[in-house]
Parts: sequence; C-alpha cells; structure tokens
Amino acid sequence: MEIIECEGLGVTYPGGVEALKNVDLTIEDGDFVIVVGLSGAGKSTLLRTINRLVEPTTGTIKVDGRVINNLDKKELKEYRSEVGMIFQNFNLVNRSSVLRNVLAGRLREVPTWRTLLGLFPEEDVEEALSCLERVGIKEKADSRADELSGGQQQRVGIARALAQEPKILLADEPVASLDPPTSHAVMQDLKRINEEDGITTLVNLHFIDLAQEYGEKIIGLREGELVYQGPASKVTEAKFEEIYGRSITADDQLTAGGEADV
Amino acid sequence: MKTSNTSLRDYEKKSMKWYVGYFVVLALFIWSMIGMNINLERISDGIPAMGRILALMVPPDTARLESSVIGMIETIQIAVIGTTIAAIFSIPVSFMAARNLGLPTAVSTAGKQILNAIRTFPSLVFGIFFVASYGPGPLAGVMALGINSIGMLGKLNSEIVEAIDPGPIEALEATGANYPEMFLYAVIPQVLPEFIGTTLYRFELNLRQASVLGLVGAGGIGVTLMQALQFRRWAIVGMTMLVIIVVVTILDYSSAFIRKKII
Repeated sequence: MEIIECEGLGVTYPGGVEALKNVDLTIEDGDFVIVVGLSGAGKSTLLRTINRLVEPTTGTIKVDGRVINNLDKKELKEYRSEVGMIFQNFNLVNRSSVLRNVLAGRLREVPTWRTLLGLFPEEDVEEALSCLERVGIKEKADSRADELSGGQQQRVGIARALAQEPKILLADEPVASLDPPTSHAVMQDLKRINEEDGITTLVNLHFIDLAQEYGEKIIGLREGELVYQGPASKVTEAKFEEIYGRSITADDQLTAGGEADV
Repeated sequence: MKTSNTSLRDYEKKSMKWYVGYFVVLALFIWSMIGMNINLERISDGIPAMGRILALMVPPDTARLESSVIGMIETIQIAVIGTTIAAIFSIPVSFMAARNLGLPTAVSTAGKQILNAIRTFPSLVFGIFFVASYGPGPLAGVMALGINSIGMLGKLNSEIVEAIDPGPIEALEATGANYPEMFLYAVIPQVLPEFIGTTLYRFELNLRQASVLGLVGAGGIGVTLMQALQFRRWAIVGMTMLVIIVVVTILDYSSAFIRKKII
C-alpha cells in the first residue's frame, strides 16, 4: 500500500530558486528509502515538503490517502506529530537534559497546560526513557545534551522522533556530521527501527556506498528533478553518475575517506 | 608583479587613513584644551589641594561607621529592587525586539526604538525626575534604576535572543508542537542562563549607580555622602567612601563569580 504519493510536486523559493520540479513519487508503507543527489539537488526540500516545513508551490502530496497540502493549523500539527524528523546537526537544545529533549517528541500527546508546567504524565516519561533505551543511551537521560558525543546526540535526535510514535521518519543527512564508524552505527539504528516497527523511513544521503549498503529503494534527484526511483540493487555506478551528472569521486564514498574525520 | 603592486598601494591607502585618523583626534584634543583654557600649570596647581583633602579623609570618622553601613544597606536594597523590576519588564520587550521569532518587523522595530529611547537618558536625569515626582527618598532611586536599566537589559537580552540556534525551533515545529511549546522548549532554555548573566552584570552597575543617586536625593548612602561633601566633613566622606568601596568590591566579585558559574 502507498503511504506517500507526490504528484507534480514543485517548490519555488521566494528568491526564485526552483528546488523541486514536477516530482511524481510513490513510497510504499514500511519502505526504507534513501534519497541521493548532490547538495542543492532538492533532497532537503523534498523531506521538508513532506512534513510541510516547506510549502509546496505546485502539485499534491497524499499521505495515507489524504491530501496534506491544505490542512488547517490544528490538522497540520496533528499530522506533523505522525512524522518524525532527524537532522544533520541534531537540532537538540544543548543546555537541556537528554530526557527533556526526548520529551519534546511527546508534546503533541500531552495537554498544553501540562507541557507548559513541565508536568509530563508518568507514562510519557516512561515512553521517552524506553525510546532512549532503544537507541542504547538510557543511562544518559539526565546528562546535558551537549555533554554527549556526536553519535550519541544523533541517537537523542532519533529517540525524540521515536517518542512521537511516528508513521513516517524523515532523516535529513543524519550522518553528515559524524565519523565513518558512527555513521554506520546510526544507519544501522535507523534500519533496525524500520524493520522492527515498520516505520516508513526516508533518509537523505550523499555517500553512494552508504546508500547502496542500507537502501532498499533509492530515489535520485538532480537539479530538483526526479531522475531515478527504484530498487537499490539496480543502481549501478553508471546510474549514480547520471544522478550526480558527473563521474563518481572518492568524496562521494564514506569509506574512501572523502569527508572522514570531520 | 602586478598583484603585489596593487596590494602595496592598498596598504599605503590603509595607513593614510590611520594617519588622517590620528590627526583628527589630536586636533579635537587641542581644540578642546584651548576652549577650556586648560594647561599643565593649572593641572599641577590643583595637586597639593587634592593631597590635603585626601589627608583629611584619613583616619575615617569611625563614629559614622554604623550610619554608613545602614545607608549602604539601603543602597543595596535600591539596587536589588531596581534591577528586579528592570529584569521583569525588559524580558517581554527583548523578545518583542528580537527579529528572529517571526514577529512582524514593525513590532521588533518598535521594541528596539523603545529600548533606544530609554537608553538615551542618563540615570541621573531619571533620578532628578523621580525625586521631583515622588519626593526625595529610596522610592525615587528604585524607579530611576528600574526604568533606566530596562534600556540596557532589553538591548543585551534581545541580542541574545537573536543569536540563538534556530535548529531546535525547527525540530520542535516538526514534532507538531504549538507556538508556546516551541518558545518554552526551544527558545527559553537557550537564553535563560545568559539573561541571568546580563541581569547580574546590570546589578553590579546599579549598585554603583545607586551609591551616586543619593546625590540627587534618591536615597541610600549617597545622601550621607552628599551632606558630608556639602559641609566639607572630609573624615565622614572618607568613612562613607570606604564602606562603598568595600561593599561594591565584595558584591562585584561575588556576582562575577556566579555569572561565570552559570554560563
């Protein structure tokens, strides 16, 4: 069954940049999809259009059979709570505790008067802790977020998204700020969660070796246009060169050490 | 060769600007000295008198220790209340004046203008104004510091708000959080420790201001100081100065210590 269907999706930013052009896209429920393309190809825009952090200019997006282009404010918040997001720079509140960062994923579930007073019900705190346990850092719950390593911080980001109990997980370059071993660990976490919970997952990546290793399906974007959509197994180096519009270099591979040690 | 020539010429241009700058400052200085009829002779003539007055302050009049301490306690209280009032009122204005919270530009511009307007007035002007409105006494001092400090606290705090990382706000928006929740969970934790830091810093400044505000009748140890100065009771001046210096130094260090611990 399709969970995400985009038809003629286009995004033009106020400055006139056409970030997405006429994208037709289908994603099946439970898929683990890697979105590849050069920086500026529209990967981030695509993810942010799905949870409406970016407004589509043209076309429609259907999620679970419902068009989400024209949700009112309340419906939009409700919808966003079903879509978890993970960011390149983790986007944690550095000075807050790990637990408080993860509880942010429960905000929509808890009445506002309680969240504003910081009075989360016991079961929501338990839920947040169990999300931390799933990514292996429950013991860090009381630490300040900025005391953690990059890989641990990204796991807090994953736990925050999991705390939303989402149907869809969007990960925008989740490993671009991490070293190679940590990158693999985070990708394995995402893959494991996808397999265990069946959460449809879209991951933006620019490393082709990671894309091939973890992706079941691959979406290729080039200058805002969808140039490939299909199983990862069928993506050859020639196909990548077509998506990237140039020959593949060491910088496009994590193991080749392009951006290692950053 | 060509590039090195251009960069040499740029360098010469830059040093020319510096020379022009030096010349302008020097010219301003000489112009002011001539206008004031100040020369080295007149400056050196005053030195013996300074020495005599300083000598008269020692030993300080210990009989006035108690009254000086009582005056200083009032000064501390004026600074505490004034700073607290300013902190409370400056916080909404600093969020209003920040340009990165999605408020209409007209609102943040208005906020910034209010803060600029307040900062134009020196605290002594506020002091005289409130002494005239409320009569002499600590209340006038509290009002003067309270209103005057809003300007600086509001400006510093709004700059802190403008410097926050927008990432957590985006992350909270993506979870479906509402505006108050985004504010409380993504904005407040980023700014609160620094707000406390600026408030403590303002408290240090206000303690000094409060010591001086008594000169215009706005309560505290400054009242004692003003009377002693008017009647040339230098030993009493010495006593009050000593109390001010000791207390201000101690509180300065403690506040700076707390600030370091917080941020």
